[in-house]
Amino acid sequence: MTVDVAARLRAARGGRLRRAQATIVVALRMMLHDKAKLIGTTLGVVFAVVLAAQQLGVLFGLLQKNTMFVDNAGADLWIVPPGTTQTAPGQRMSTALLDQARATPGVAVAAPLIMIGTSVTKPGGGSEATTLVGFDLAAGLGGPWNIVAGDVAALRAPDALFFEDAQREKFGGLNLGSVREVGGHKVRVVGFTWGLQPFGPPFSFADIDTVRDLGAVPADQLSFVLIKLAPGADRAAVAADLAARCPTAKVIATPAFHATIVSTLLRQQLGITFGTSTAFGLIIGFIIVALSMFSAVLDNLREYGTLKAIGLTSWDLTRMLIVQSIVYALLGSLIGLGLVALMSAGIRGPNLIVIVPRALVLATPLIMSALCMLASVLALRRVRRLEPGMVFR
Amino acid sequence: MTLAIDARGVGKVFGAGALAFRALDAVDFQVSPGELVMLVGPSGSGKTTLLSIIGCVLTATDGELRLFDERVSGRPERELPLLRRALIGFVFQGHNLIGALSARDNVRLVLESRGTTAHAARAEADALLAAVGLADKRDRLPAELSGGQRQRVAIARALAGAPPLVLADEPTAALDAHAGLEVTELLTRMCRERGTTVVVVTHDNRIFHLADRIVHIEDGRIVDGRLSGAAA
Repeated sequence: MTVDVAARLRAARGGRLRRAQATIVVALRMMLHDKAKLIGTTLGVVFAVVLAAQQLGVLFGLLQKNTMFVDNAGADLWIVPPGTTQTAPGQRMSTALLDQARATPGVAVAAPLIMIGTSVTKPGGGSEATTLVGFDLAAGLGGPWNIVAGDVAALRAPDALFFEDAQREKFGGLNLGSVREVGGHKVRVVGFTWGLQPFGPPFSFADIDTVRDLGAVPADQLSFVLIKLAPGADRAAVAADLAARCPTAKVIATPAFHATIVSTLLRQQLGITFGTSTAFGLIIGFIIVALSMFSAVLDNLREYGTLKAIGLTSWDLTRMLIVQSIVYALLGSLIGLGLVALMSAGIRGPNLIVIVPRALVLATPLIMSALCMLASVLALRRVRRLEPGMVFR
Repeated sequence: MTLAIDARGVGKVFGAGALAFRALDAVDFQVSPGELVMLVGPSGSGKTTLLSIIGCVLTATDGELRLFDERVSGRPERELPLLRRALIGFVFQGHNLIGALSARDNVRLVLESRGTTAHAARAEADALLAAVGLADKRDRLPAELSGGQRQRVAIARALAGAPPLVLADEPTAALDAHAGLEVTELLTRMCRERGTTVVVVTHDNRIFHLADRIVHIEDGRIVDGRLSGAAA
């Protein structure tokens, strides 16, 4: 028999695509064949996804709770005391700033806002803290949103307040028309909001004059000035103009204020706490996947040796492990995100909202694929170092 | 005439320094195309090492090896898988089938790894499995087959793509006497029909009569290379 070695070598050298397809099929079959390892490794990825995504979801929920006031106040620009990093009761400013703002070209509306920390005395004794927001009813900036009962117009009545629906029991069984005492004054409940609970005490809302009375805030003081721009006005230019006119205060655009709140919270304990638990989830998932894949390779060492002996290259085997990593990652991400979605719906309430943004949903499979590929490095090293001659031993 | 296997002065040393062990010592081994040679010798004599070097799964420390006049010695290791795919079929002692693949897919894998299309690979795999008497068991997983049936699948896999050289390492070791003889007879018959060169490492003297030539190795050296009954 004459053997055309050159032709055989040419033929064997070609067909890379077919070889790639064949090895991918083998990789998947090997994965599916060892069901215990498949389940164990997938559960590892699911665990990592659930822990990491749920922690990030809670973090995003908490961040949203602290930025919701800025996001829903309806302002384009804010004039705030220097050093302000949160929308919370604090340093006050002069009402002269309001006049300066109103005189600035490009400003359509400049409205005062007062935010004070106070407490509501309950009928049976004791009190509960609230963050009372006083806003200009005519301008509407900084008023309540997510209203589930009552009408904002009802706040025109003296000593009328909106409370947080989720805190009705906490404030002693509030209902529309209930009367409570705030700062030594009787107030009447005229409406309820839902979910307006920042980190601190829940928001309650009233007309700015009511809040001045309840909190004994002098008539020449306010907490923030909220600016609505005139149509076509350039936000940066108006902000610069306002900053020049109000040198004792800080002028900040709403998106920048939002970013400041987020970065401040992340720099504080929130970022560390949630970052640590997220990282732990990923690390544990990484370890489970790494050990499972390594153990799968050890269990099938003879098969990998056989594949090498019959002519598959180290790269072919690498491709097999990469494919397995990606499938583990995608499968685990899909199940994990599904579980997170169920958990989020289950625990969603005014006190806690788990937010899983679309970017996180899209990024999770990619991050887990990278993580699983990294986790397969141990197994890869073992496979690449495998001598095909081992099949004869 | 071009030799199927031409090994000259081939040696292999495992380890280094004081722990160095010479498994093969200046072995000259030639096999003609279509010849069926059995390598025999006591355990540790170096026959499997020689088979591994011929099979391009192990590189020789010294000497020169040519397969069908293609120089193997001195080639970088990354080129050896190509030589194995192009020229060699393997039958292993423990069949070494991929447990997750059916009999058909074990055979197909070899063909597709050489670039054969899925359709052609399927047809050839079915034909080979029919030739080894397993047409009705082609969809079974290795775990669902007997030892003899698995070794038949391994023979079909070794012959997939009609390699000019088949290397078999103790193909009867895991089988009972009857199945062992049957499988080796099948291997030799199919290889002779195809003109395939075969080297079999074995201890099993019940199959010696199937060889053209029996080569004895002891202490890493060939001590006898006489013709056997089949070729004499």
